[in-house]
Amino acid sequence: MTLQSSHAFVTVRDLRKVFDVSKPWLERTIERAPKQFLKAVDGVSFDIRKGETFALVGESGSGKSTVARMVVGLLPATGGTVMVDGISMTETANSAAREKLRRRIQMIFQDPYASLNPRWRVQDIIAEPIRAFNLLSSQKDIVDRVGELLTLVGLSPLDGVKFPHQFSGGQRQRVAIARALASNAEFIVCDEPTSALDVSVQAQILNLMRDLQDKMGLTYLFISHNLAVVRHMASTIGVMYLGRLAEVSPAKEMFRNPRHPYTRMLLDAVPDLGMSGRARIPVQGEIPSPINPPSGCTFHPRCPLVMDRCRAEEPQAINGVACHAVQEGRQGTMATRLSA
Amino acid sequence: MKQPVLSVRNLKVEFVTRRGILRAIDDISFDIAAGEVLGVVGESGAGKSLTGTAIIGLIDPPGRIAGGEVLLQGSRIDNLPKEAMRKIRGKRIGMIFQDPLTSLNPLFRISEQLVETIQTHTDMNAQQARERAIGLLTEVGIPAPEKRIDSYPHEFSGGMRQRVVIALALAAEPELIIADEPTTALDVSVQAQIITLLKKLCRERGTAVMLVTHDMGVIAETADRVAVMYAGRIAEIGPVREVVQHARHPYAKGLMGAIPTLESATDRLTQIPGSMPRLTSIPKGCAFNPRCGEAFARCFVERPDPIDVGGSEVACWLYKDKKDVAA
Repeated sequence: MTLQSSHAFVTVRDLRKVFDVSKPWLERTIERAPKQFLKAVDGVSFDIRKGETFALVGESGSGKSTVARMVVGLLPATGGTVMVDGISMTETANSAAREKLRRRIQMIFQDPYASLNPRWRVQDIIAEPIRAFNLLSSQKDIVDRVGELLTLVGLSPLDGVKFPHQFSGGQRQRVAIARALASNAEFIVCDEPTSALDVSVQAQILNLMRDLQDKMGLTYLFISHNLAVVRHMASTIGVMYLGRLAEVSPAKEMFRNPRHPYTRMLLDAVPDLGMSGRARIPVQGEIPSPINPPSGCTFHPRCPLVMDRCRAEEPQAINGVACHAVQEGRQGTMATRLSA
Repeated sequence: MKQPVLSVRNLKVEFVTRRGILRAIDDISFDIAAGEVLGVVGESGAGKSLTGTAIIGLIDPPGRIAGGEVLLQGSRIDNLPKEAMRKIRGKRIGMIFQDPLTSLNPLFRISEQLVETIQTHTDMNAQQARERAIGLLTEVGIPAPEKRIDSYPHEFSGGMRQRVVIALALAAEPELIIADEPTTALDVSVQAQIITLLKKLCRERGTAVMLVTHDMGVIAETADRVAVMYAGRIAEIGPVREVVQHARHPYAKGLMGAIPTLESATDRLTQIPGSMPRLTSIPKGCAFNPRCGEAFARCFVERPDPIDVGGSEVACWLYKDKKDVAA
């Protein structure tokens, strides 16, 4: 839908995930209630080029983590395709090629306290992918490689004998990064990698991730709710709202000129640290329940530019923006509202 | 100068453990005036939440207040008997906690919780209390409060629940509100609404607010003054503009640089090496010395006390002899 390029390393097309959230069968039968479905992800498409960082932002419940899980294959998709380096992750055919691909995809999770096995030493945690993919056979080579990885993420090779509880949150996240790199991964999906960390530690981890990207040409899918963090990391940003992409734009462009009213609102909600007193539209309402989303454009109850068409007709993404107002050239109204 | 609503003098909090006495809050002092919002920021383990807990007298053993005074409108409250303190909490000091779901009782309707709180602290009858509760819900911006008041907490969204918690905190018209990470569990768009609301209500009523958070953005939007805490001490305290834009203490400076912002043009964030020391191993001298790029001999021996530097108070030896020099 945007930045169509032949070099796309990761291609996601029309990805869908529907969860069955019905009550148990007996209860449903007694109450004569129909089955209930939750469309967590509803037709998401994007491309990521090699060496790029694509960020997904949105409020809780917008479906960004679900996308991340489907991309790495932790959740089966209900529909749509994910292609990494030309190999389909979603189709069952060609499983041999997909097995080879697995090694090149890794994930970093939000909570470094929950994502490391507390009973394993750090050296075993980091060596697990090496052993699982049979990358190195001799014990000595593995120890050397683990030491190298620990140094790479800014820890000491001597830290390998420690257990996760002996590390602080930031150090644990470094261990998680080392583990992700252990299998020579090229594509790393990061699901809120710094939300559990303090700001000074967050800065360390974000800088480390950027350095590693420059050094090793990594490709990131970066999930975050923090627009300022995303601005710092991403080359392209996708804004999600209720399972759909509201806007996909190059990062610089999005911050200079947010097009979708929802993007605009999210940007305005970020506390103003520079205290520049920039004009802002006060934010309205909250994200509705995805079980029973609003008709037409799902953002319409909160949108300052809403028209009848928005309530009835679902907007299609054109030029990276799914908004009737933008497509009809009405976003100028927002600017006048701002100055008023 | 007018008497401050809250005044904390040389407060010390200790925990007695098998490994010895750990000092979690070490000699902090600050004032909050009526209608003022004091932001308390710091990273996890800096002692910011504990400061709030100490003020409302809810520190459980093995923790204890080891020294100093807490004054509410000029009279000491840290040495009051339990029963007297219980009357102050909720009535004169309101509290807002991080997770709005755990601070509301899931088994009772919002109306019951609000009416109970109002009746505990005032002598209204049930009918008056209910009317007042509806009034409060209107004030905190809950649509159709006459209908929503009989809902249970789970029927509200996160932002709405936090509004209810704010209504509860305001129920008895307290002089001071301690808000501990009130927006941390919320989405940015809802966070902005809650901050605006809290600020407006406190300004209107002249309530003093102690806003504890790790989010410098929230502070910049809300607070009048900021205290930056590090390892149980106040590193820097001053007007919000001074601290946010011209931080003087090397830690506060580093902290400000570490925050990614929408405006900053740089690609690399400033990073402070290392992390906050554990309470068991607080370094001698200034607690920040192992991470400080500007530390010199004195920092490793002597602990700095806060000194006046251009409107702010900064606990750093760098400013000891150049008080008048603008930083």
